[in-house]
Amino acid sequence: MVDVTTVLRATLLGLQLGMTLALVAAGLTLIFGMLDVINFAHGALYMLGAYFGVVVVSELGSFWAALVIAPLLVAAVGAAIEILSLRPLYGRNPLYHILLTFGLAIMIEGIVVEVWGGQSYRIPAPDALSGTLSLGSLSYPVYWMFVLAVSTALIGAIWLVISQSDVGILIRASAHDTEMVDALGVDVSKVFTGVVVFGAALAGVAGVLLGASRSVNPGMGFGVIIQAFVIVVIGGLGSFKGAVYGALLIGLMTAYGALIAPSLTDLFIFALMAVVLIVKPSGLFGATEAA
Amino acid sequence: MRELFARFGRSERSAGNQILTTGGRYALVAIVGLLALLGPVAAILEPFWLFVLVQILVFALLALSLDFVFGYAGLLSFGHAAMFGAGGYAAAILVAEVTPNALVVLPLAMLTGVVVAAVIGWFSVRARGIYFAMLTLAFAQMFYVIAFADVPAMVAGAESVTGGDNGIYGVALYELFGIVDFSDRINYYFMALALVTLSLVALVRLANSPFGRALQGIRENEERMAFVGYDVQRYKVVGFAISGGFAGLAGGLYVPFQSLAHPQLLHWTVSGELVVMLLLGGMGTLWGPMLGATAVILMEEMLAGVAAWEIILGGVFVVVVIFAPRGLAGVVVSLKNDPRNALKNAKDALLTYVRKVRGER
Amino acid sequence: MSPNSETGANKQGQGRRTRFSGSSRRRFLVGGATAGATALGGCLGGLTGSDDGDDTVTVGYVLPFSGTYSLLGESIVNGFEMYVEQNDGQIGGREVEYVQRDTEANTDRGVSITREMLIDAGADVLVGPVSSAVAIAMMQTVQNEGSAIWLNANAGDYRVVQEGCLKYHFRTSFNDWQTSAPLAPWVYDNVADNAVLAYADYAFGQNSKNFFREAFEEAGGEVVGEVGVPLGSDDYSPYLGEIEDSGADAVFSFFAGADAVNYITQFSEFGLDEQMTQTGSGFLLSEDTLPAQGEAALGKYSLLHYTPSKQTDRNQTFVENYQGEHDTRPNVYACQGYDSAQAIDAAVADVDGTDPDDLADSLSGMEIDSPRGSFQFHPETNDPIQDMDVRQVVETDDGVDNEVVTTLDRPEIPTWGCSL
Repeated sequence: MVDVTTVLRATLLGLQLGMTLALVAAGLTLIFGMLDVINFAHGALYMLGAYFGVVVVSELGSFWAALVIAPLLVAAVGAAIEILSLRPLYGRNPLYHILLTFGLAIMIEGIVVEVWGGQSYRIPAPDALSGTLSLGSLSYPVYWMFVLAVSTALIGAIWLVISQSDVGILIRASAHDTEMVDALGVDVSKVFTGVVVFGAALAGVAGVLLGASRSVNPGMGFGVIIQAFVIVVIGGLGSFKGAVYGALLIGLMTAYGALIAPSLTDLFIFALMAVVLIVKPSGLFGATEAA
Repeated sequence: MRELFARFGRSERSAGNQILTTGGRYALVAIVGLLALLGPVAAILEPFWLFVLVQILVFALLALSLDFVFGYAGLLSFGHAAMFGAGGYAAAILVAEVTPNALVVLPLAMLTGVVVAAVIGWFSVRARGIYFAMLTLAFAQMFYVIAFADVPAMVAGAESVTGGDNGIYGVALYELFGIVDFSDRINYYFMALALVTLSLVALVRLANSPFGRALQGIRENEERMAFVGYDVQRYKVVGFAISGGFAGLAGGLYVPFQSLAHPQLLHWTVSGELVVMLLLGGMGTLWGPMLGATAVILMEEMLAGVAAWEIILGGVFVVVVIFAPRGLAGVVVSLKNDPRNALKNAKDALLTYVRKVRGER
Repeated sequence: MSPNSETGANKQGQGRRTRFSGSSRRRFLVGGATAGATALGGCLGGLTGSDDGDDTVTVGYVLPFSGTYSLLGESIVNGFEMYVEQNDGQIGGREVEYVQRDTEANTDRGVSITREMLIDAGADVLVGPVSSAVAIAMMQTVQNEGSAIWLNANAGDYRVVQEGCLKYHFRTSFNDWQTSAPLAPWVYDNVADNAVLAYADYAFGQNSKNFFREAFEEAGGEVVGEVGVPLGSDDYSPYLGEIEDSGADAVFSFFAGADAVNYITQFSEFGLDEQMTQTGSGFLLSEDTLPAQGEAALGKYSLLHYTPSKQTDRNQTFVENYQGEHDTRPNVYACQGYDSAQAIDAAVADVDGTDPDDLADSLSGMEIDSPRGSFQFHPETNDPIQDMDVRQVVETDDGVDNEVVTTLDRPEIPTWGCSL
């Protein structure tokens, strides 16, 4: 009894989920590609984006201001994290970065509960984007369409920059061979900080966008980080393309899974990740490691 | 991509290469003796501390089992909750349906851990480093969903197997042919202490055996070991399965004690907390993580009344990662080797930190 | 009322259920007494931990103070302590000592903390927990120790009565039958004769859905579909599609906390308000979710035992006092905490002591003059026999609020085979 409308609705949701998750996963994978850091606190940065969004809207009354200011604040937090805690650990075993950022994630969640309490908040969506669109027999919220459009545009822009521009070449070169870039006279530590700041800002944007269609609560950070990990691992750590494809895959699986067997969706997603890794031990687009 | 994960054999990873020196062994005997005395004293003065002590023993055993693969063999398992929970659920079901005899149930809980770990290990060892970690995490989360949604009951058409989100509650205590009364918790404590001590001795011996040396060799340089003819994958799976057995034993000790087998036992946050214990204690030393488990549980116990305890726990953890990467074990060892320079070392660490933050090399 | 037999995957197998039945319960008490005696070897005798000559009442909070549920835990504490402060800081004329531990809404910690409260802190009364999973896990420990009164200030799972049926357990809150079943005949009479059920797919959600279904069919209505959503879902659009496709005129839902916020706002965003009437258990639209739900909540019906806007003198006074102290209106949890304090105060004064057996006898069948309206502890189950409010969300000067539409007069509650 699955009809066209149902499938279309699920597909739209899957794409929107995929694209917003891609914003989170892109930062995660770029940070790994450049710094060899698995950032466990990336979900916490996404959560901070949503909370800062709540604060900006209640202070300034404008969703659009929140969409600009909140990610900048998150970027500042990202810079502080990179300079004060990641930087002293470069050159050490990458495992320490996972552990460090795990500690940071626990801390940030604790701070959020301390400051905002445990209850749910929501960023009010702008009036201009209220109401629903009718697509044949399906009505879909205008704001959700807007989220899909904005995140797709952002991801597309980053894709272009990475594949076409000088910045992209630098990023790819640094990821490939930090020492060489260093020798060419580029200040690598600034590049590192820049990448974390950029990744944090992206997570912040995702936080604000989703904070207006979902509840904002202290559990959201850890919820998203596991999804983001699954995505970057399936796509291949360090691969931007992999993160985007992986995110779309997980988004669509979540949406279709809800139609078929909601309580087992997570099981399917983890099983998919296991299968991908068993077949391709470094993900779909990951660089094969020296065996 | 650089050979990131082939570099896991740094000396910074563990507080020394030999597991337990002779001096360490005497210290171990002394500590076990002390704990054996502490139990009855606690039972009289602060009965509740017996419960805390049992909890510490269980998690010390769990941290020990994880360190055997994580710190010692370099297999970054982020899914050890799977074996812990599987052993626990096995114990709960056996006690309810078959027999509450500890001599029957505990070995079977251990076996459950071995089987689960062998399956997870067999699928996971192909992947390396962080990918291995993610695979173990994925498998553990699958077990979590299976327990939470009670998939076995769906498959078998039974009313309830895992008890879904409430788990299996009201699990009875063990008995031992009617000889020992475990409802007197001091007896439970002695059983736990004996089993944990035996486990530590067994794993230390194993670590110092040819098999253990081979595992260490694989950690240091997998390619070389393969080249000289070791079946590397098989060694890894066997090591992982052994570790899983001890994790299953920890689950079997824990569940009847708590009267509860719950999906949260299988959740990735338990695996995460375990890794925290490992790092706080000092990876690769086997005894360090047991200290780490003790520290984390005591901290949680002391701070549970404080609303901001998560911030404190996370903060302590971050500081340890940055300033004392070898954990408590590293601190103990360096104090023992060079007590006079301890202060100077701490100052050096701080100066190094400041220098690095400033971007100097 | 017969106990509902459809709770599917969440019931324990027979083999495990008998553990709490008559004959084995006595065996437990014997075992518990042995354990207690050993544990108290060092104390000055007496069968309760803190009855070592002092006159204080020790209150142990088994509540979450961190994470998502921290607001609930804090509200219960606020309510409890406000009552005690109004009575010169005393309970039953005795000094009060508080012990506070954070369960983190984790079952495992719940068990450990309960133990600590009973054995170490010598609590005379336990207040909590929030989560039903924690309550179910606590049953055995409370039973084994038998040294304190357990005032369950929130966890509503009916199995605490059905399988626990503990002499020391008194619910100052509600059971999950009360927050769903009584709404069914009202929906049938006033809203629609057919309904679709949407629920968070865990024990509490399943119980609520089953109880509603049973009562709705008994009233003559038809349930046209069921939609279970995994706990903690963020996006409800596929499920809203199923709800819409069912073609029902009414929907009954159980979601709480962040889930309730997501479900209600998305229900409204997808324009389902034009097609069906949203009804639900009171936690769907409560004091702690309404600010985040905002206008999306307007017009929706729910059933709960406490509504802060209720126009009675008793409630007005309570609300004013609470607002004066905490700068915010009391929620249902604060009321439950307040009533827990009222109950234990009356019982301690009545028996002039803290012996748990005496207190239990005193509390059994007691009437409590609560801000929610007077309620009585059921003599057989110790659950509250209470009025239930049907509320509708309306617009107010500063946002949205629940308004009582009608009050259902003390619906008769099931006893699930428990007779104390």
